[in-house]
Amino acid sequence: MSTPARRRLMRDFKRLQEDPPAGVSGAPTDNNIMLWNAVIFGPHDTPFEDGTFKLTIEFTEEYPNKPPTVRFVSKMFHPNVYADGSICLDILQNRWSPTYDVSAILTSIQSLLHDPNPNSPANNEAAQLYRENRREYERRVAAVVQESWNDDDDEEMQSKEEK
Amino acid sequence: MAEEGTLHYDPDKNYDEETLAQQRIIEKQIAGTQDFVTERLDFSVLEQEYAEDPVYIKKVRSLKSKYLCLRKTRGDGNCFYRAFGFAYFEKLLEDQEEFNRFRDVASKSKDVLVSLGFPQFTIEDFHDTFMEVVDKVGSQCPLEELHKIFNDQGYSDYLVVYLRLLVSGHLQKEADFFSNFVEGDRTIKEFCNQEVEPMGKESDHIHIIALTAVTGVSVRVEYMDRGGETTNAHDFPDGSTPKIALLYRPGHYDILYT
Repeated sequence: MSTPARRRLMRDFKRLQEDPPAGVSGAPTDNNIMLWNAVIFGPHDTPFEDGTFKLTIEFTEEYPNKPPTVRFVSKMFHPNVYADGSICLDILQNRWSPTYDVSAILTSIQSLLHDPNPNSPANNEAAQLYRENRREYERRVAAVVQESWNDDDDEEMQSKEEK
Repeated sequence: MAEEGTLHYDPDKNYDEETLAQQRIIEKQIAGTQDFVTERLDFSVLEQEYAEDPVYIKKVRSLKSKYLCLRKTRGDGNCFYRAFGFAYFEKLLEDQEEFNRFRDVASKSKDVLVSLGFPQFTIEDFHDTFMEVVDKVGSQCPLEELHKIFNDQGYSDYLVVYLRLLVSGHLQKEADFFSNFVEGDRTIKEFCNQEVEPMGKESDHIHIIALTAVTGVSVRVEYMDRGGETTNAHDFPDGSTPKIALLYRPGHYDILYT
């Protein structure tokens, strides 16, 4: 059955294909228009450059009147990304506007990689390093960039890093 | 979360998401007990509600002398838009001339919003659905069908969003004027992003003034609160002849019928 949410997601998808913003991509998973996979390429001139970060976007029937749940699947090291991959970004929470679409969501997350907000940290260590030790911050980000190229090794890398 | 009364803050946890999840549960509970827009109800429902409250009972009686009945709306922060939309569309079912005027305003409103910088793609989506319902009203669909549309969350919320966008557009267009009424250190654009466009954000005078102005639909609001002996009527805009009447109780709007 077609609902406004599903109809709208088809339009979002069509628009994303016809007029794709630079550096992001996204598509519904097989058989489920309510669950999308997306990729954000690390923006140039940031420590995230060349990373290919995978995300999932989960919509409810209330989309676009309520925001979807967006999560990084790839390991992330960023002041505003929680350990479980969820993202602290106002437009995905209390500042959501129904005028946003998938392409606006992905480009907003992309610009969050550009401009972290260390005043609203989801990852305290990342926020602290970002403020106080930019060099170490960049080293840690470089590690997740490398990891993003090879998802299968995710767990292995994680255990290495913890040592 | 907390166990056995101990609260501790887990820095790795996304509390925003938990708050949102909690909000969703509360919304679902309300949704289970209250339609977006009810059938027409007798004032006895209000008399029962305030059986123990002499101040409000007096006010319900004064309302009863002026109005026939009411429809309640769900208290989800969108009640003003939902009440306005339903009451006005119901009115349009029997007023072809007013319908023609409004259809023209509504159909042109998309280009106005796009010219103000709203994203064309998403505006079009809401506008299409809004016009779909407007045209159903124009074809004089049965009242039951309109009632059904307003209680179907998908459609109903789309209508609310479009009315919110109209308010946002009008406030931004007349930013010089309205910026005097915005509290705190916020621009009109920020105010619209925070207090107008998101679903569930309640409406204040400024929203009502904007919606009545942009649609050209006059509204009477009967204010019912603790002060005075009767409800106080206020017309938006001042001195106009209202097309519809709403009942305001602190934080909530319902529809009144004469």
